[in-house]
Amino acid sequence: MNGLRVALAVARKDLRSEWRTRELIPALAQFIVLALVIANFGFQIDSRSAPMIAPGVLWLALVFAGLVAFGRAFAAEREQASLEAMMLTPASPAAIFTGKAIAAAALLIVCEAVMLPALTLFFGTPLNAQVVVAVLLATVGMTVLGCLFAAMAARVRARELLLPLLTLPLWIPFIIAGGQAVQAAMGLQANWDEGIGLLIDFDILFVVLTSLAARFVLDD
Amino acid sequence: MSLLVANGLTQRFGREPALVSVDLVLDAGEHMAVLGENGAGKTTLLRILATAARPSAGRLEILGLDAFRERRRLRRRIGYVAHALGLYPALSALENLEFFCDLHGVDRSRAGAALETVGLSGSEQRPAATLSRGMQQRLAIARAIVHDPRLLVLDEPDASLGSDAADLLAAIMHDRTAVLATHDHALANRLCPRTLVLRNGRSVGTATRLRVVR
Amino acid sequence: MSARRALGRLGRSTVRLTSAPGTNFQKAAVGAVALMLLAGVAIFVYAPTDYLQGVVQKIFYLHVSSAIAAYGCFAVVLLGGIRYLWVESLTADRLARAGALVGVIFTTVTLVMGMLWAKPIWGTYWTWDARLTSTLVLWIIYAGYLMVRRLAEPGRQAARFAAVVGIFGFIDVPIVQFSVTWWRTVHPGPVIVNDALPPQMLGTFVFTMLCTLVLAGVMVAIRYRIEALQDAAELATEPARVLSARGDTEPEAIR
Repeated sequence: MNGLRVALAVARKDLRSEWRTRELIPALAQFIVLALVIANFGFQIDSRSAPMIAPGVLWLALVFAGLVAFGRAFAAEREQASLEAMMLTPASPAAIFTGKAIAAAALLIVCEAVMLPALTLFFGTPLNAQVVVAVLLATVGMTVLGCLFAAMAARVRARELLLPLLTLPLWIPFIIAGGQAVQAAMGLQANWDEGIGLLIDFDILFVVLTSLAARFVLDD
Repeated sequence: MSLLVANGLTQRFGREPALVSVDLVLDAGEHMAVLGENGAGKTTLLRILATAARPSAGRLEILGLDAFRERRRLRRRIGYVAHALGLYPALSALENLEFFCDLHGVDRSRAGAALETVGLSGSEQRPAATLSRGMQQRLAIARAIVHDPRLLVLDEPDASLGSDAADLLAAIMHDRTAVLATHDHALANRLCPRTLVLRNGRSVGTATRLRVVR
Repeated sequence: MSARRALGRLGRSTVRLTSAPGTNFQKAAVGAVALMLLAGVAIFVYAPTDYLQGVVQKIFYLHVSSAIAAYGCFAVVLLGGIRYLWVESLTADRLARAGALVGVIFTTVTLVMGMLWAKPIWGTYWTWDARLTSTLVLWIIYAGYLMVRRLAEPGRQAARFAAVVGIFGFIDVPIVQFSVTWWRTVHPGPVIVNDALPPQMLGTFVFTMLCTLVLAGVMVAIRYRIEALQDAAELATEPARVLSARGDTEPEAIR
């Protein structure tokens, strides 16, 4: 059974389910907007400092939204039973994992589509193709890592604590490189080329590694 | 050659033994019922036989292959109905099955046929969440046969089925090897010539046409 | 398992280890400690005091040695994890467990030494430079490793998950270190200056590092033995007992 077809089937199934219930996306979108509003109260924001603080707020909101989204992708008791049913087919765990990661990434990207314009609205940051590219590249790597450890945390006690603990250290390089790229794209003093180059390298490395690790985490 | 050979199956959760040294041999086409009180280890045993879980100790061979090493190959041939159904509530009955057809790499037309076998043809477009528990159970059963498995492992499939449970189960078990866990002794006697009784994780005996008197 | 029982078991294992007359572990432990004391002598008597930093600089010997010992331990965790995933070797998993615990201890020492050093030199306990940051991340990753071990189903699942965490963690640390260093080229901050070391200092450092590695090795070996004894105790067959306290629910079908 073709791995890619399996992955796409799994992704399509997840996205179709989400589309029909429309539970996660509105909640995440509201969460992100709320985060931006709170950031305004938390930091000293004026028209001068806003563009400098905005990239940081972007990553904070993205990290927390990501943790929620990936945690949900695997956590529900029902979801665990469904996952087991999928594993009891000849489909490869790597393909199933890839499918779930694709769906989770799609959901996160929809949230980013809400966040970036909101950021522009509230913080006055420019919204251009470069910002979008940087955020998308970071999303890929963060998603595969988040999904791998969410799958692990879901099978284990104290999962809400374990997921951030395992995932955040691995997200740090993405936040650093992505942060630089986004700052450069927003016109601040930063290195675009190297930032994007690092993001691509990290993406490739972790997509490969997580695919290899998937079968140890999903299967018994 | 026997279809399934289990030797000394033991399962420990932490220090608690859930299954202790269970032996079992099934020939092709045999139907066996697994009986026992709640907590006796039925689900644990069935999960191991369906390759959904690995035993802490013991050997399992299905179709001559080692159940752990060849589990991906074997899963093509095994259909499992678990306690927790694991259906997708937002998807229709047909969509649920077609998804599993894709995963198994079999033609999607089988989904419709499976629905007919379990008597759900009229509800194929309905979201799984709107189906009654009994219908959901039928859907889970349909999912277990859509890829035409040789071995069926059924964990209390009759729990929510109606009065035609016996007929339905007899129909799907026909021509297949089957292990059926149930509380319904009458059903077990009707469908399965062989019985395995578990108590506290141990097999207290297999028998032919065992009549358990309460 | 309750904390009291765990401590009791640990205590019994340690007593068994150390009470047998002249066991190898006892000799090794004494030897390692003696070596460390010798290194201490070398640090304070043999090595010259740094002109710029004064006595505080002497922390560097233990700080860096500790860091290297920690990395060594985590390399053991990495290799043990890979081997476990490959062939499900219980000894490999045990080694990884031992390495992780000792590694976290040495990482803690490294962090504390780093902070003690930073305060007199820069006037602050903490600075987000590449090395301190990656050491902190290292600590967090392996604390996560120990947590996964504790929280997952003991046995195969814990070993498998921990192996994955250990592998990803080990790969992540140089990446984090590189990223922070790269970031620092754009946002320069305080840097730990390592001038060229005069031969006496270098000699002292190498000696201290070797002693620390020996200590780490002995600690890992002892911990390995403790884990082996605990594993054996777990596996001891218990007489069959009636599981009447299970209640009326089946063991959870989904874990």
